[in-house]
Amino acid sequence: MKTNILYTHKDLVEQSKSGDRNSQYRLYELYVDSMYNVSMRILNVKEDAEDIVQDSFVDAFKNLTSFRYESTFGSWLKRIVINKSINHLKRKRIPLVPIEHHEYHIHEEINDPVIAYDVHKVKTGIKKLPIGYRQIINLYLIEGYDHIEIAEILEITVSTSKSQYHRAKKKLIKIINTP
Amino acid sequence: MDDLEKFIKDNRPLFDEHKADRAKIWEHIESQIDTPKSHRFWRSPLLKIAATILIIISGGSLYKFSTVYDFNQTQQNNAVYHELHDIDRYYKSLVSFQVQLVKNNQKLQPEDKKEFLSFMDELDTEYDLLKLEMAKNLNNEYILEAIINNYKKRIELIENLLKQVNNSKKMNSNEDYIL
Repeated sequence: MKTNILYTHKDLVEQSKSGDRNSQYRLYELYVDSMYNVSMRILNVKEDAEDIVQDSFVDAFKNLTSFRYESTFGSWLKRIVINKSINHLKRKRIPLVPIEHHEYHIHEEINDPVIAYDVHKVKTGIKKLPIGYRQIINLYLIEGYDHIEIAEILEITVSTSKSQYHRAKKKLIKIINTP
Repeated sequence: MDDLEKFIKDNRPLFDEHKADRAKIWEHIESQIDTPKSHRFWRSPLLKIAATILIIISGGSLYKFSTVYDFNQTQQNNAVYHELHDIDRYYKSLVSFQVQLVKNNQKLQPEDKKEFLSFMDELDTEYDLLKLEMAKNLNNEYILEAIINNYKKRIELIENLLKQVNNSKKMNSNEDYIL
């Protein structure tokens, strides 16, 4: 079953490898929206996200021969988009992780329950987070990466990723609960 | 997994709120994944002849020159720009060396020198314009091709001049023989 998932869109990928423009376009159509959303969540600027998505597809198509189904095509592509988006922020010298007291974090349980589950409220809450917290929340909760992967993406330690995630989540719940 | 995490996981598709401008992004992607026509140019017999002359004159290798057009690498635009910058520098020094050689050559007629140098000036102006265009629109294949053509003309010009020098030498030696 796992193998089947890894080989999602195998035909399209293989034809794209040989330069078939139609297959490349079909792959593009399948993934462009989700990749654009991934980049928008990180960059929050339409033009920047468009540039990143464009560069990512170009890189993906040019390097498709190195794709060997060790992950799905989608997650391979998503990692390219995320790396490029994060690098874009770094170039702009935007701090990716809040620098306050990483080492003194406390694993406290979050006792504030979310008053109402509302997608709009959660989305707005995430947008109101400081950029460093927002990245961690997005990568963990929305993109589904674990702390080891996040540590790799953001070039931080796993424990920093965990502590920042807990802080970020606490802050997010506070924002959601604020009327 | 707490309630918030579960809620986001269950509603994950709703967090993709943006729609990408598909046509616009694809247009840019397509222009970049097209195989550059310049590859064909490098295989032409004319270039082989010209390259031989260049190698003899400069004594250098064309390593940099050929790798610049290796678009299979996952290079960012700025990396490509730097590579192009390297070519520019390489050609500039080569051409100025050539021009100096022509200026100092005692065997050439003043009219020939003048003609050659005025052609070179024209090409210099064209080249500067193309470089400006290239900076504005790095991925434009036509600009790239025009720059290559500009190089090609310079090479042809040098070739013609060398032929002239050789012919005049032959004529001189013939005259000597007759005398």
